[in-house]
Amino acid sequence: MLTDIFEKEKALFEDGAQTVLRAQENRNRAVRILKGNITANSRNESRGISARVGKNGLFGFASIAECSEEAAKKVLKAASDNVKLMARHTKNAGIVLPPSYGTGTVPLNRKLVDAEQKRIIDVCRQLDDYIAKKYPDLESRMVAYTEDSQDRIVYSSDAYDGHLLTPRCYIYVTMSLKTKEGTPVELFKALGGFGCFEDNFSDLEQYYPELETLYKRVKDKAEGIYAEAGYKTVVLGGMMGGMLAHEAVGHTVEADLVMGGSVAGPNLGKKVASDLVNLTDFAHTYKGELAPLPVYLDDEGIKAEDAVLIKDGILTGYMNSRETAEKFGMKPAGNARGWAFSDEPLIRMRNTCILPGTSTVEELIESVDDGYYLIESGNGQADLTGEFMFGVTCGYEIKNGKLGRALLDTTVSGVAFEMLKTVDMVSNEVEWSSSGFCGKKQRMAVGMGGPHMRCKIMIGGR
Amino acid sequence: MNEIREIADLFDNILKEKRIEKYTYTLVKSEKQEINAENGEFKLMRTVFNNYASIKVFKDNKMGSASGNDLSKEALERLAEDGLGAAQSSPEDPCHDIAPDQGKEVFNQGIYEPDMDKFIERIQECLDTIKKEFPSVLVMLAMGSYDRNHWISRNTNGTEFEDFSGQYNFVIQFSASDNGENSGINGAGVSVDNLDKPFMELGGIRKSLENTVKSVHPKSLEGKFEGTVIFTPDAAQQFLSMLMGNYMSDSVIIDGTSLWLDKVGQQVVSDKLTVSKKPFDERIVCGERGTQDGFRSEEVTLIDKGVLKTHGIGLYAANKTGRRVTKNTGWDLVVESGDKSVSEIIKSVDKGLIMSSFSGGEPGTNGEFSGVAKNSFLVENGEIKYAVSETMVNGNLGEIFKNIRAVSKEQVCDGNSVIPYIAVDGVVISGK
Repeated sequence: MLTDIFEKEKALFEDGAQTVLRAQENRNRAVRILKGNITANSRNESRGISARVGKNGLFGFASIAECSEEAAKKVLKAASDNVKLMARHTKNAGIVLPPSYGTGTVPLNRKLVDAEQKRIIDVCRQLDDYIAKKYPDLESRMVAYTEDSQDRIVYSSDAYDGHLLTPRCYIYVTMSLKTKEGTPVELFKALGGFGCFEDNFSDLEQYYPELETLYKRVKDKAEGIYAEAGYKTVVLGGMMGGMLAHEAVGHTVEADLVMGGSVAGPNLGKKVASDLVNLTDFAHTYKGELAPLPVYLDDEGIKAEDAVLIKDGILTGYMNSRETAEKFGMKPAGNARGWAFSDEPLIRMRNTCILPGTSTVEELIESVDDGYYLIESGNGQADLTGEFMFGVTCGYEIKNGKLGRALLDTTVSGVAFEMLKTVDMVSNEVEWSSSGFCGKKQRMAVGMGGPHMRCKIMIGGR
Repeated sequence: MNEIREIADLFDNILKEKRIEKYTYTLVKSEKQEINAENGEFKLMRTVFNNYASIKVFKDNKMGSASGNDLSKEALERLAEDGLGAAQSSPEDPCHDIAPDQGKEVFNQGIYEPDMDKFIERIQECLDTIKKEFPSVLVMLAMGSYDRNHWISRNTNGTEFEDFSGQYNFVIQFSASDNGENSGINGAGVSVDNLDKPFMELGGIRKSLENTVKSVHPKSLEGKFEGTVIFTPDAAQQFLSMLMGNYMSDSVIIDGTSLWLDKVGQQVVSDKLTVSKKPFDERIVCGERGTQDGFRSEEVTLIDKGVLKTHGIGLYAANKTGRRVTKNTGWDLVVESGDKSVSEIIKSVDKGLIMSSFSGGEPGTNGEFSGVAKNSFLVENGEIKYAVSETMVNGNLGEIFKNIRAVSKEQVCDGNSVIPYIAVDGVVISGK
């Protein structure tokens, strides 16, 4: 863990400017076993200190790969110099100083425990051996461990300070089989979540039921069919609901993208979804329990709170930085985050989730005469217009309210604020995922969640 | 003083003291000066000084690696121990290895002393030109960074590469609006080692802006048909990247799932396609000089007139599968031009799309792809009709590259690649 030696550097903060000094270490561990062969085995630590100075709507940022008092002094000076350089090249002043929303110290949230590489390899090999013995007909398999942890110390001129730890670790299991025509199909599952290695992998047996489900689904997929392209009634699974929350809606309501012309700009306060749709970007707690990637303090010193984005189908807010919040007359909720010590904070999602409804999953599936049940997504993208796409790696036909044949890989697409109006059933539970990275200049760990939803969507296929 | 060379000498001593007899490492010092403009106005100046140290340790046919960004003596000692610990924890696998002695060489590439004032002027000039010539365009982000790297790589077989490189990178993201409608995001970028020309005249920047302006009022397609897709150089690069990942990369060769596993020397795609990695091509800025395995980087032709010349695999995959290593782990992609102009290709198309970007799921190893055609236009009876929205494309990577209709004479060079337009048949195009 980083040692906090930086509080006294606050005395060096420039008067009349908003300054944040951040010391940070990112830790990565990786092991990859491909069909029994270790193809990756690595450990990485990356640490340094950065300063961001804001004045008259312009920002200077500087970072050095060193955590020392001397480095703190250097980055504070360099960031101030960078603001001055910007001021020489632009006459446009923005908001002079966005208001403060309280000061204080956010307490340390947890401990960080490192696992030895041998322990990680042993557990991965144990899991790989289990899969090899249990499922000998697999064409290929991969067990890939990945851990990324953030350790941040934040000092701000006029907001909150704090020392926060965000560890997460996953084992991705990929299973491949061949179709009867000889072409390979695969599926993967991410096991694990927030916390350190032993928090997640001291008991591997807890994951055996998920491996069994994965194997069954890849077997089904090996006999799968292409989806029929077109505009279809579908039941989106919880993981797809989370992808929808993040990609299709979440990005359009990031205030920097709103300023860039996103469809959310002219739709604030308007109906953008059916009454059944409620969407919140949770800070750290969901229904009294830890959200999958808890954020307590952002990198502008704003204490994190939930950001309510859609309430009963009405677009109610955006995710903001301090500056965009002031511009839109909103309150910042702690969404300005940077991934590495050398990254300036950008508006990012935290735990973006469509809230549950009242139906059961079975009721949703039984209600569809001819459509698809779409369960797992590989990736997704969205545009300013709200046009989105998700890759679908696992799904089934629904015929007369019953699941039919599995689907080969396909893609769904739509326009968020049109598609959300077609949501007419929402299940009563939420599935979360937090293994992904969101890309927006920098990468960022994000959590996303959603219930099952019945809706209409464009699906690709032959 | 060559500070990084002194650090390398120190690291060698640490490794010797720890009796580590086989290793390869790379030490990097980097500097970034980045100017960001948001919504057309300068907003942020960012300076990043960073380091990187990575080591692979080989012990008793076991391999482990470690990396970090601290070049202090204490950190290098920890790094050596972490690398050794990782190796000792690993099972034996003699296929992990490093390249034989490649000698010693110092590389100097690009521009090592930047002209930041001129760089800022060029960025401002580009923003001003966009305001004047493309008034409906809003530049959400313009990011210019000067990136300078100095690295040294040594291994116990005797190789030592040292590299001094610096380049300007310029990226813009933009959209166009009219009457409350928006085109959606488009983008373009270039890497250069001089500031002789305005950014507007480089790479595909002007063309992307022109296409974006024409995309503000897209129409949905009706129904489904099998047609021709003309990939712009950006989209062609996306599809070639997927093709190489699915059929030619380490993982699919090691696990045997590549559909081109035993196709070296055979015709795998249309004879109109020749794909190479050319790190020494004068159109490539700061191309790869040393591979991740420690080989001196070479020009490699992957596909020659449709014949697969080699898979793109590293030393481990080569040793594991008894194949030839590819002495290039960079990108530096050059696709040979064809004999028809873009306008001739468009005229030859009965029905299809010009597609600038593909937004889709990662294709599985079977090569099936499915996604949304972004920044795309309908082509009918040899003419560009209108921009499309909510239009999906589906097909198979291997099959569409067998069905290349034409490769354009024109190529776009963005400093990292040289790519023409590529038109393929047999893509399923579906609307709402």
